[in-house]
Amino acid sequence: MRNRASTSLSKGKIRQSWSKYNLYNLSRFRTPATGNRTFFQQKWTAKAVSRAYHGEQVREGQWKRMFSKRIRSVIPMNTADLAADDGSKESAGRGSGLNEGSGRSRSSRPIPYTQMAFAPLERRLDVAIFRALFASSTRQARQFVIHGAVTVNGQKMRHPSYLLNPGDLFQVEPDRVMYATGAPKTAFERRESRQLKQKSADAEAEAETKPEATEKDEKENARDSLRALMSQAKTIMSTDKDVLPAKKKQELRGFQKAVRRVLSRSDTSTVLTDSLEAQFSELTLLLKAKRAEKKPAKESKKEAKEEETSAATTKSEETTSGALSEAFQAAAEGGKVDTSELTDEEFDILKRALTQMRDNPIDHSKPYATPWRPREYMSAFAFIPRYLEVNQNICAAVYLRHPVARPGSAEVPTPFGETISTPAYGWYLKRRW
Amino acid sequence: MAPRIQSRRLSNALLPYLTSSQSSSTSSISSTCPSSKLFSRQFSSTAASQTRLRRHMFQWLSTEGAALKHHIPGETNYLPSRPDRDGNSNESSRPFPGNRNFVSESVLSEDLRNEVYVRVVEKKKSLRAVSVELGIDMKRIAAVVRLVEMERRQRAQGKPLSLPYARAVHEMIPTTALAQEGERQPYHEPINDLPAHPSTGAQIFYPVPESRSFTRVDAGRVFSGAPTLEKAVADKISHPSDLVDEIIENPNSIEWVGKGEKARQVLQPADVRIPHPQLIKLEIDRKAFPNERRAVTQRHAERLEKQEAAEQQRRERAQARREKSIQHVEPEGSRFDYRIQDAKFTRETVGADGRAPWAPGRRYGVPADDRKRGMVKIPTRVEA
Repeated sequence: MRNRASTSLSKGKIRQSWSKYNLYNLSRFRTPATGNRTFFQQKWTAKAVSRAYHGEQVREGQWKRMFSKRIRSVIPMNTADLAADDGSKESAGRGSGLNEGSGRSRSSRPIPYTQMAFAPLERRLDVAIFRALFASSTRQARQFVIHGAVTVNGQKMRHPSYLLNPGDLFQVEPDRVMYATGAPKTAFERRESRQLKQKSADAEAEAETKPEATEKDEKENARDSLRALMSQAKTIMSTDKDVLPAKKKQELRGFQKAVRRVLSRSDTSTVLTDSLEAQFSELTLLLKAKRAEKKPAKESKKEAKEEETSAATTKSEETTSGALSEAFQAAAEGGKVDTSELTDEEFDILKRALTQMRDNPIDHSKPYATPWRPREYMSAFAFIPRYLEVNQNICAAVYLRHPVARPGSAEVPTPFGETISTPAYGWYLKRRW
Repeated sequence: MAPRIQSRRLSNALLPYLTSSQSSSTSSISSTCPSSKLFSRQFSSTAASQTRLRRHMFQWLSTEGAALKHHIPGETNYLPSRPDRDGNSNESSRPFPGNRNFVSESVLSEDLRNEVYVRVVEKKKSLRAVSVELGIDMKRIAAVVRLVEMERRQRAQGKPLSLPYARAVHEMIPTTALAQEGERQPYHEPINDLPAHPSTGAQIFYPVPESRSFTRVDAGRVFSGAPTLEKAVADKISHPSDLVDEIIENPNSIEWVGKGEKARQVLQPADVRIPHPQLIKLEIDRKAFPNERRAVTQRHAERLEKQEAAEQQRRERAQARREKSIQHVEPEGSRFDYRIQDAKFTRETVGADGRAPWAPGRRYGVPADDRKRGMVKIPTRVEA
């Protein structure tokens, strides 16, 4: 459930969160007016607005102790410039070069120092997890840490306020990350998972001799979906025995939804949205049009590729090499296109689809909607600052260094411009402006 | 009997997997703005189900915000910034419309990451060389090697990975791709960043005769309050990068100024403090001998080799010194290895009365603070 206390529409505060409420607040945020207000009032508002985003989970006193007026900055140096002279040209004459033209004509942009006012907070573990896109909000990141899903340098760390040191490696459990960043389950999927749980509980009660039953089921789920894709009408009959018809229906419904989403985004709105066949054929036609633009594929090359992929996917499925050609046929027949030839592009797409299907199976035991897809509005918040190096495959990241400012840009992600960050920085100085 | 499911329908199982293919599909939202008439409830007596704010929000989400709901593979999808006075608003790399100083910078693509790993671990190239070749910061290269190794280990162990998540993230944010063979690898980030030293923050009025050449070396000395270099020494330095070799060989050769607490090393010129000082010598050589490209690169390689050898030697020496100060005790039949290090009793290590809180060992008569109120016990570092 959405945290009603932290994302209110009436206050319109911006938070470190990916919620759509926050996105709306971000979109309608305007810099507070300064005219008619005292300097103190301006600073107070700037502080309040920026603290709602930066370290809202940190007490004010705690943050005041963390604040440092010293701001890290770097200047990118050009080795050719350094090699050209020893600096005496710049200091010649009265200290600023002999004539105007002697100095470098590069227009140096100013360094936005005050944008870095909240840089010390970026060292916190919970904030770093949010910045690495492992959690959908800092509060959620904090929960992951407290619940023991995060390790720092291989050791479990339960303090969200742990300040990362340069070179620290933190890792979050991949399942938590997939849950935090994935789309939520629909009511139907929730019911499905409930039934799965019920069934496994029943199975356990009946016979305790099969402890690996559920695991097997999960594996077979993925394999079944693969098989369903690849097999033709007669082979479906045999696989039907394993899978419930309700499940298939549900799968189909999900796919129908996905198709609609694709089509709503594509240029052609003329396609009928009732029948799946029509949609699929439309998609294949689009594909064909694309293929026609490209150069014709060579037969020998295609065969070589086919061999390569079959070799690559042997470990997953023993029947892949044989089934791949079947999959082609199935895909082509479903679209009612001529089955005779398959281009490299189509082949590539099918190959990619197969591998993605293997990596991203339908699994109702997971807490997120399967197959996994990113949650809505995630892309509007997706960026990774340069002071982190992230490996998304294992959900691990390294805190390389402290964030720095450089000419024209500051590394601390903040939604506020200098008109807000400068008075906020002034507020926290010991000798206040 | 369960109804038969036709094969044609089932073949559509492919579709959700095709949605996130790399072929970019353009989005066109049929933005039919619901008229305000729809929301006015002048003659209704039932309580409103939504507040005005919520209504506005959902209206925004269905019109302008609809484009942000799903990403387009290979493109960023941030809030569009408000048009400025000139009327240009399309800045695709700025996630925050209110902050023009923050840019969503690119990350390393999967291929580039693996390439870094291959070059460092399999081809045994130095971090410094790979950093210059690919235009990636040295710290990042070390981190990438660490992470890729971890990933390979986890794959081998069969631990769960989050591959669909990784794919989606790489579709949403800009990435630096590995260049095709024969093409030049574009630089990922500036590799020669000079950190601004705190002592350069002061504005100093320092009069110098116009006849004297005042170089970066002199400026560094002025900032750190060191006396002017003697003429004999100064004449030996033709270019500030001449200092690099000596300092790499022996970092302790940097002069100290000040006493006691205020003792500090003299601020070195930028030529010494940047991460890749050897590139300056290369540039100087290139300028001096524009026609001898091969000789120049060879000399550069030699310099690099020498520098790496010196660094390696220094590291080994430090390690040996550390090992020497630690005594290893392994009792028979024990699974522990005790490392005993001699405590040093100096004013700095144990304080004036020998009972400083940071002094080693338990101190008789001095109570431990760890149960007192307000004592922070959150670790400050985790050893790898």
